[in-house]
Amino acid sequence: MNALIDLKIPLQSELMTTVRLLTGGVCSLVGLGLEESEDCKVCVTESLLLLKHGGFSSAHLVFTRERGVHVLIAGEEGGGEAVSSLEEEISVALLEALVKDLCIEKTEAGASCISFGFEL
Amino acid sequence: MDETQLFEKYRLTHDVKLRNEIAEKYLFIASMIAKKFVGRGVDYDDLYQVASLALLKGIERFDERKGLKFSTFITPTITGEIKNYFRDRSRLIHLPRRVAELRVSVKKAEEELALQNGKHPTAGEIAEKLGVPEEDVLSCMEAGSVVSLDRPVDGEEDGASFYDVLPGGEDAFERIEQTDAVRRALASLSETEKKLVSYRFGQELSQAETAKRMNVSQMYVSRMERKILQKLREDLKQGMAE
Repeated sequence: MNALIDLKIPLQSELMTTVRLLTGGVCSLVGLGLEESEDCKVCVTESLLLLKHGGFSSAHLVFTRERGVHVLIAGEEGGGEAVSSLEEEISVALLEALVKDLCIEKTEAGASCISFGFEL
Repeated sequence: MDETQLFEKYRLTHDVKLRNEIAEKYLFIASMIAKKFVGRGVDYDDLYQVASLALLKGIERFDERKGLKFSTFITPTITGEIKNYFRDRSRLIHLPRRVAELRVSVKKAEEELALQNGKHPTAGEIAEKLGVPEEDVLSCMEAGSVVSLDRPVDGEEDGASFYDVLPGGEDAFERIEQTDAVRRALASLSETEKKLVSYRFGQELSQAETAKRMNVSQMYVSRMERKILQKLREDLKQGMAE
């Protein structure tokens, strides 16, 4: 494991831009191309929204350097209150369309931990 | 009517009115996904249009008997189309920034001079006004906006694209352009002049040897050569201005 960033973030809409900027910086640091970086940003945002829809109020976000970048996003505090199933379906389908090694751990209320990677 | 019944009915009838109803019902997915790809240099409206077209294509292809929900089916379809759109766009030829900026100045100078003198200015006049070489002004006038490398050269859908026919390096392209310009200029020469050019510049014979082959004096060859070169220079210059 070669964790680049390990942080806890409140799941608030106004922080999404900050997380996207951070993701872009990490992708650039590991040498991902522009398209992969942009896709990674979308995936990170979608994952956070999934957790938010699942009722979580904060998330643990870990970026690891692994032949590119591996991202693990786990819900913390709260959970168990699914808000919108259709939005969740679309987010999952979008993640599946953008990454190959998507892994989603679910509880009854929805996703609780999401991980994926973008290779160089 | 639930989702399955709706798509079953459309699959059996292919009723355009029903398709439009389905499209309107799910248009929000196109909008939602388009928004997620904003910020990559393409306007939301364009992305929404691409996503909406993908939605229509998806409605045609969706088979409710496979047990998949339409939202799960259409999301990767729309995502794929948007990503293809980004890939296509990245193959557009963009003008170098310097040329693009000069183009704006050339256009402005052209309008000002036309207003001032009551006639369209020449490239030389524009160059003088802007304080740039005439060649740069001509290059800018040649350069259009953006052209897709995928656009068919002859306008036919099945024809070769610019991507297929453009040579790899700039040098090769310039060489073809120069060869073509010279060929056109040579066409204006008389048969005797063409013979002289062939001996002197094709076979690289001396003036004396050329004079011997053409059965004329060396002085005649020398004078004729100067005259031909002057004529070619003017023709090439005029060709560029056109």
